[in-house]
Amino acid sequence: MTDEMKRVVIVGSGDGGTFTANLLASKLRKEIKGGLVSVQLVGEHLLHPFQPGNLDIAFKGAVPDKYVRAETDLIRKGVEFIKDPAVKIDFSARSVATKSGRTLPYDYLVIATGAVADPSKIQGLAEGALNFHTGGADSRRVWEALQSFEGGTIVVAIAGTPHKCPPSPNEAAFMLDEFFQKRGTRGKVKIRFLTPYPRPYPAEKVSHVVEPMFQKKGIDVVTFFNVDSVDPAKHKIYSLEGEAFDYDLLIAVPPHHGADVIVNSGIGDQDGYVPTDKGTMRVVGQEGAYCIGDATTIPVSKSGVVAHLQSVVVAHNIIAEMNRAKGLLEYNGRINCPMEVGNHKGIFVSATYTSPPVDQSPSTVKYYMKRSFAMIYWRALGGGLERVFDVFFGQTRFPATEKEEPEKTAVAPVASQGGKREA
Amino acid sequence: MSTTEQRKVIDSRGSFCPGPITDLFKAYRSAQLGDVIELLATDPAAKADVTAWTQKSGNELVGIVDEQGYARITVRVTKKR
Ligand SMILES: Cc1cc2nc3c(=O)[nH]c(=O)nc-3n(C[C@H](O)[C@H](O)[C@H](O)COP(=O)(O)OP(=O)(O)OC[C@H]3O[C@@H](n4cnc5c(N)ncnc54)[C@H](O)[C@@H]3O)c2cc1C
Repeated sequence: MTDEMKRVVIVGSGDGGTFTANLLASKLRKEIKGGLVSVQLVGEHLLHPFQPGNLDIAFKGAVPDKYVRAETDLIRKGVEFIKDPAVKIDFSARSVATKSGRTLPYDYLVIATGAVADPSKIQGLAEGALNFHTGGADSRRVWEALQSFEGGTIVVAIAGTPHKCPPSPNEAAFMLDEFFQKRGTRGKVKIRFLTPYPRPYPAEKVSHVVEPMFQKKGIDVVTFFNVDSVDPAKHKIYSLEGEAFDYDLLIAVPPHHGADVIVNSGIGDQDGYVPTDKGTMRVVGQEGAYCIGDATTIPVSKSGVVAHLQSVVVAHNIIAEMNRAKGLLEYNGRINCPMEVGNHKGIFVSATYTSPPVDQSPSTVKYYMKRSFAMIYWRALGGGLERVFDVFFGQTRFPATEKEEPEKTAVAPVASQGGKREA
Repeated sequence: MSTTEQRKVIDSRGSFCPGPITDLFKAYRSAQLGDVIELLATDPAAKADVTAWTQKSGNELVGIVDEQGYARITVRVTKKR
């Protein structure tokens, strides 16, 4: 490493941003202490939510405070937390401008601004539907609505893809079934699941598990339903394909897009996601800039596990670049999304770029593994569980094939229109 | 077909389920009646998925052509709210 101070700026203090900052602070402790490296973490909020907790808030009545910690309690010594939202990311000037007017120059940038669930993108959705993707308070509204729901039709709809946590709409249907079973009113409640996909879960092997369970539990599935609009006055939801269903309570996963700062900086695709190399996690065509987690165009699940595994690769690659060393790492696309299927059972949707999910059966062990994640999340953010994760996840990264330049072609932006993949 | 109808090519090669069908739906969302969408896909499930969608939704499957290493699936938007 040269004597000149190297500045790392991380934008977004959620799952991936916080973990990357902590990894760098732990691996570069001496350099930070010696003034050779700085790690600045730029965030919007002082409070850090554990987003998977939204399901428990919505369907099991957990209080939102249970799943929130102060960001300052989560960061390691050596990380400078700047609570001042970024308003512009300038690749050519290599700097980040913040709302208060600061300019933060960087040698290495990590974009970890996540995805935004936005009901306003579908006509009538904000007024007509509740959801558990826009935070703890909105999730709590679902729970409150369930308390007074005596009977009728509950529609669970996926109103846009990609969205955070692909299994979460299926989980919502399973958890609703369980809620009304326990209350003894399941017979008075019809649960209807509307999905744009060809089957109840997009990956076929996972659908093999979900479909018969939905059938057994009387959860009605409508496939190829691309939500067009909602009429809150008539209590009706319409698809682009021309179907319509009545509802008494509508719970919908809103369409998602990238963060405003990505859109306003002109560095995203048409949905505000950042074109990113699926292996090295470098922003396509930009020196020293990386992107992780929900903010990228990479077509893997928008999930915390993915953000976490990508953070490890990025921290490694930044240090390798600082040392002008070869030996960059590439992420192998490993996903591992838990799905609670009711009655204390769960499955994991696991895959990599090259190996799709395989057949499996729901188990109690998987359910408790999922539940335990809520407890270990805060510790995991500090980097203290990496050895355990290495054993659990197996190989998730491999040596990069050395390239002179950052890779020019991002793989398969999910929202490809207007992006690289539209021929 | 009027001259304002658009032809859009969506390249989903290298992307696996639900990538191709999701890409098709994005194009469908912004399409007008009469527009033609060509989906290029390496995912073997894409042919059956798109065929099933056209059958259910009433949109027209113009054709599926096996190119070298991928399929070219052409759809005309004939049903949209
Ligand atoms: C209901 C639900 C259930 C889920 N269940 C699971 C699960 O079981 N397993 C799993 O792995 N994942 C799950 N997830 C997904 C997981 O929470 C996210 O994928 C993960 O948080 C992504 O991490 P990230 O760092 O990319 O984004 P986030 O954690 O969302 O962080 C993004 C951060 O960027 C900040 N930001 C945005 N714009 C700016 C700006 N201009 N300046 C500064 N900061 C900015 C935001 O405020 C936020 O703090 C679930 C999500 C939901 C909603």
